[in-house]
Amino acid sequence: MADIIDDLKLKLKDKISVLYSDPKEPVVALADKTAIKPVASIISKSFDILFMLVVVDRAPKFELNYLFSRYSDDKTITLRVVVDEKDYAIDSICSVFDSANWEEREAYDLFGIKFTGHPDMRRILLPEDWPGFPLRKDFKVTDEIRNWTGLDLKF
Amino acid sequence: MGPVHPSTHGVLKVVVDIEGDTIKKAVTEIGFLHRGKEKLAEIRYFSNYYPIVDKLDYLSALSMETLYASLIEKAADIKIPERAVYLRTIFVEIQRIMSHLLFIGAFGQDVGNITGLIWGLRERELLMTLVEEVSGGRLAPMYMTNGGMFYDVPKDFGDKLVDILDKIEKKLEKDYVAMFQNNELFKIRTKGVGVIDSQTVKRLGITGPNMRASGITRDLRKDQPYLAYDKLEFDIASEKEGDSYARFMVRVEEVFQSIKIIKQALRLLPDGPVVTKTPWLLKIPPKYTFVRHETPRGEMSFYLVTDGSEKAYRLKIRSPTFFSIRALEEVLVGSKVADAVVIIASIDPVMGEVDR
Repeated sequence: MADIIDDLKLKLKDKISVLYSDPKEPVVALADKTAIKPVASIISKSFDILFMLVVVDRAPKFELNYLFSRYSDDKTITLRVVVDEKDYAIDSICSVFDSANWEEREAYDLFGIKFTGHPDMRRILLPEDWPGFPLRKDFKVTDEIRNWTGLDLKF
Repeated sequence: MGPVHPSTHGVLKVVVDIEGDTIKKAVTEIGFLHRGKEKLAEIRYFSNYYPIVDKLDYLSALSMETLYASLIEKAADIKIPERAVYLRTIFVEIQRIMSHLLFIGAFGQDVGNITGLIWGLRERELLMTLVEEVSGGRLAPMYMTNGGMFYDVPKDFGDKLVDILDKIEKKLEKDYVAMFQNNELFKIRTKGVGVIDSQTVKRLGITGPNMRASGITRDLRKDQPYLAYDKLEFDIASEKEGDSYARFMVRVEEVFQSIKIIKQALRLLPDGPVVTKTPWLLKIPPKYTFVRHETPRGEMSFYLVTDGSEKAYRLKIRSPTFFSIRALEEVLVGSKVADAVVIIASIDPVMGEVDR
């Protein structure tokens, strides 16, 4: 576990900082969101899947927690990236971790974060014509939502 | 197919392109049961969220409650009494048996064996009655709380439970073997149907019985022992083939292992209180908390972000079936329409936890 963090530090220098160095569940912060793909491919050498992607609304910024896990033991690593209000977008890591596909679609659906390079960037839980992104803290239930019937949807 | 097709186990919709009788393309659509549970966590107190967790995986509500209670206890640093640890282990395993029995029955029905469904429900009802006796609820028991459980079990709980388990074990060893494992028709319908190999499992992030049927021996109860699992002896059920039959056999074997676990836990069950008194309005300091358990459908997990108030700032629910049903898009391609029903059933989806 220590070697993967060393590896990350070696390749990305000051962009990587260790927030929490638990031997089983370390948390690593990435300062530059454009480096997400190279970081993911370094992590993919020792971890099998994206276990979950937790988006936290820290208005006006969004905090993305990528939690990776592997099948051989119970260790996980969390990667924390911040997406700021200039552009709510980040590179998709689908090409490295296929398990990220639906998790990224869910993050787009509920928070409105765009994952560039994602093969199928559609809503997943909510219908296509749903107004707004419900898990954002500033989401308000408007008349449009109250009167939403779903009758325009194609089956 | 779906979302209200009787064979799709809840409101799962699969759009299939067929040529003759062969499926050429399959796209799964989910979200029909989306009830905004993650948003509800942000407007409810920690102690008031249990009824919502019940409806996540409604076939194993006690596992969900235990997982959520463990999350709150880890975040708020509450230590639960030893008796509560063992009782939770017992109830989680009871739920695993109930969930798998319903799977066995529903799977039987999907291959055209109605008797299987009636039998599965009959055996499950024995445990359901016991859970109802203890907690007052059947599908949504609302038994766990922060720091333990609401009330202790009745005095004759252990004897009754052992009686029921013996009955189920006998049935599974004799009647069910004749109905399923020794049934040529059942084998023809399931063997070699819907093969998910271990590479696909690792790529898609599938966990739980579906993973163990593909030759990966992993179980969080062993790898990351929680509750009382490190003091109990059991084996990990595992098969190599990765087809529907293997997924069925893994679950049958898991029922036997659960029976073994419960009997040991009942012997070790200590006396004492079942709950650590905690305030109803709990305040949790700002932090991140991550908990995962092996539920009947795989590795379920909660990720809680708190900000010091008595409500969650963000609660993320990781559902195992959310990852498993993605496999349908690949596995269904090339199979017959009649087999599609069997394959969907063998994944054992519960839409409550997928759609959240």
